[in-house]
Amino acid sequence: MKGLNISVLVKPVPDPGCYESIQIDPQTGILVREGLPNILNPADKHALEAALQLVEQHSGRVVMVSMAPPNALETVKEGLAMGADEAWLLSDRAFAGADTLATSRVLAAGIKKLGLCDLVLAGSESADGGTAHVPSQVGEILGISHLTNVTWLNIDTDANVRARMKMENGYIEVEGALPMVIGVSRGMNVPRYTSLPGILAAQDKPVKVLGLNNLGLDPGSVGLAGSPTQPGKLSRPELKRQGERLEGEPAELAKRIVAIMRSSGVLS
Amino acid sequence: MEKKQVIWVIIEQVQGKTAAVSLEVLGKACQLAAEAANAQVVAVALGSAIGPLAQQLPKHGADKVFLVDDPRLELYQNDTYSSVLRRLIERERPDVVLIGASASGEELAPTLAAQLGTGLAAHCTNLRLAADGTLTMLVPAFGGQVIGEIFCPVQRPQMATIKPGVFSPVGLAERTGEIVQEDGASLLYDAEIRLRATRLVVEEPPGMPIEQADVIVAGGWGIGSRENWRLLEELAKEFNGAVGCTRPALDQGWTGGEHTMIGSSGKTVRPKLYLGAGISGAAHHMVGIKDSGVIISVNRDKTAPIFQFSDYCVAADFRDVLPELLAQIRRAKH
Amino acid sequence: MPEFTFSPAQEMLRKAVREFVEKEIEPIAHKIDAENSCPMDVFRKMGALGFAGVIVPKEYGGAGLGLTERAIILEETARHAAGFAMTLMTHQLGIEVLLSYGSEEQKRKYLPELASGKKLGGLAVTEPSGGSDVGGQQSTGELKDGKWVLNGRKCFITNSSEADVCVVTVRTGEDAKGRPSFSAFIIEKGTPGFAPGREEDKFGLRGSGTGDLSLNNCQAGEDAVLGGVGNGTKMALAAISKVGRTGMSAISVGILRGCLEEGVRFAKERVLYGKPIAKLQAIQLEIARNRVDYEAARLLTYYAIGLKDAGGSCDAEIATAKYFSTEAAVRAAKRTMDLMGGYGVVNDYPVGRYLRDALATIPSGGTSHVMQLVIAGQTLA
Repeated sequence: MKGLNISVLVKPVPDPGCYESIQIDPQTGILVREGLPNILNPADKHALEAALQLVEQHSGRVVMVSMAPPNALETVKEGLAMGADEAWLLSDRAFAGADTLATSRVLAAGIKKLGLCDLVLAGSESADGGTAHVPSQVGEILGISHLTNVTWLNIDTDANVRARMKMENGYIEVEGALPMVIGVSRGMNVPRYTSLPGILAAQDKPVKVLGLNNLGLDPGSVGLAGSPTQPGKLSRPELKRQGERLEGEPAELAKRIVAIMRSSGVLS
Repeated sequence: MEKKQVIWVIIEQVQGKTAAVSLEVLGKACQLAAEAANAQVVAVALGSAIGPLAQQLPKHGADKVFLVDDPRLELYQNDTYSSVLRRLIERERPDVVLIGASASGEELAPTLAAQLGTGLAAHCTNLRLAADGTLTMLVPAFGGQVIGEIFCPVQRPQMATIKPGVFSPVGLAERTGEIVQEDGASLLYDAEIRLRATRLVVEEPPGMPIEQADVIVAGGWGIGSRENWRLLEELAKEFNGAVGCTRPALDQGWTGGEHTMIGSSGKTVRPKLYLGAGISGAAHHMVGIKDSGVIISVNRDKTAPIFQFSDYCVAADFRDVLPELLAQIRRAKH
Repeated sequence: MPEFTFSPAQEMLRKAVREFVEKEIEPIAHKIDAENSCPMDVFRKMGALGFAGVIVPKEYGGAGLGLTERAIILEETARHAAGFAMTLMTHQLGIEVLLSYGSEEQKRKYLPELASGKKLGGLAVTEPSGGSDVGGQQSTGELKDGKWVLNGRKCFITNSSEADVCVVTVRTGEDAKGRPSFSAFIIEKGTPGFAPGREEDKFGLRGSGTGDLSLNNCQAGEDAVLGGVGNGTKMALAAISKVGRTGMSAISVGILRGCLEEGVRFAKERVLYGKPIAKLQAIQLEIARNRVDYEAARLLTYYAIGLKDAGGSCDAEIATAKYFSTEAAVRAAKRTMDLMGGYGVVNDYPVGRYLRDALATIPSGGTSHVMQLVIAGQTLA
């Protein structure tokens, strides 16, 4: 095996620290997300870290592929600052409103267009939608094998892959061969911090923006039109409860809590 | 008369034991079938030597069971499981396919949906089935801050995953159902197996699994140290309960591990009693406990958001209250 | 006045430093203050990421960027830990004098390890008998048999016990008019006769070590002289204005942002009479004032630093920024404590620390009185 060509799928997402300030417009019922700062999806940073470590080990090249609006370019470039070699931004009005399957079609088309790709890595799930669908669906569309929720990964010089897939009470060990799509779990590694030399180098790395026509996709297969699922109304979950304040010294407070435990049937 | 709706539930089993989430989803499927008046619930079980397991499924609400028993299906693997299920779905054409969002279900569901070219809604918090067969799927987004409706108007089946702990299983001791033995050889060809699952390594976490505990004592960033965390563990032990945590506490390494993290990116729990200490109450944690019976929270900060989501609010230092509570509980038990 | 925006690379730097600070420094910020301990491991990590050597040219192992990028790093660090930012700011003060006045040989010897954070730098000017009165320094250096012998005591020196490379000024003679003249020497940690003395127990900016340095027949070779004999005063003053005051100004902007953000958070969370206090107009006015102070300080600071990076003469602009920002930080911290009521004085909340830190920024690099004199002097000239 002569070096690894790795694509890393990345998604700019609104900063999870700001999700509590997300509002639904009462008139239109649409999500008000303007002004929320974008970050690279946290799990994707773990995927990128895995890619960088593999290239340090095997040599090769790391290209990020992202489906996002053009204004997300600066966020995607943060991955270049972490160490990726190149970024492809798949951007077209026609892609808007895509569900995970329509998104996966675009991402798969981008990867095909890149040519020669041994391994596709992605964060197992995104912070905003959180479906965890994309790694598996990209793998299906590309017609190559795929695994997700991977916590440990080893690739030898003959392109054999060994991986551990996280299960509820342990893991399943899986063997296969490249090419493959792998959804990286956050437990796999700790992403490196962005360094100042990395930021400076990122400014000159190649960035390509490709649209529907460049990718040779049918407009009916992408965006809202190409999505088998369609969104309906949005709402906010009601979590509030009528809180009764308990006051007093610790001994008194504990006594009240014991009484509550009794009345709720967990203490006899 | 409307066509009879068929709801499938894919049953997950590990080492011959049915996953709790599969029975929860089966319970919900029964409820949907009742809503739509004229629907059938079908359980589909894949594995090796799982006949006894399949026999139990009618008692949990299945009208019919498809059983695919094949040694190649002993361990879950997406190539093998998705091939078998795709062929069965293409043959039987169910209207709805529901899958538990366990680690394997989270991979199997999107794999199948892509193969079938159909829509999939992830981690549904609720489902509604109309008489015309339209499934309304409610999914959380932005860490549970927003709940959105999802429909799959054209393609079939309509697919959804459901996280563990969201629904309750049903027990129908008298119920019987048809068990259909399928032939693995005609549903799975060796040539299409690209990945091999070589072994399952079980790392059984100590103590009561958090989803099953009646009492959960949870801690957050405010607990401050591993030493203080032991206080939560001792308290949980008194009830044979479990200790849960928030992500900041998990990141600090004080906790029992990732399987004890509660919230939108962790576990959904519904204990009889939840006691949270040193937790500020970020919504992505609170969505994971919203169905708890009683919520008691202890926080030094009178303004902590968790108090808005609690039945009982104790604005005090947990280091003062919990040792006292522990002592009183121990006295009460003797 | 041109549009005021940062470049994409500068924005990326801000984000990168913010992430580092939130993960590595914020969780220990309270501890740094409570224990008055400088987390040297964090400093080394920042060095490895290129943050400590931001102003060092690439040929000496740095990033080759300007004071604007440095201010971004200091502001982000000070957002959560102004005391630790002080360590970084002083390290760069030491770098600046080496950079501006060092010989090629000296630069090659010291800058790479300072840039990468393997070594910590410092600058020692102030003495018990004078700080801003540079001429009041009593420490001496005498040339004996080709060796300089240094004696005296420095005080209020940041990084005094941790600095590996310290630039020290001492009186080495008189100029043509008979006034004392000073020279700067590069002294490495562990040099015989050179030792840290008592550490101050500071009220604010805790987490940067501040204390005495003693020179007791400390010997330095002629190659340790920085920027030529007799140039010490000029060098120290230029560095303190350029790097010291801009640094303190940036640190104050970080404290101001902390006050603004913590105030907003508290006002939204604290419920009184059934609604968050953010709904009360009296609280809204306090938040607005915090915002105005933050925005004004930020504009003045980055404007002055931008002028300096562009190569202009701007001592008055820097003094204006430093004076305004440090005083504004004190006002904003006090205001934030006011709006928090009793919670403001509890150390579970960081705002009390912000007030102490803000007060401590005023004397560093010249008091507000001195800043006003610089401004007046230039205005009346």
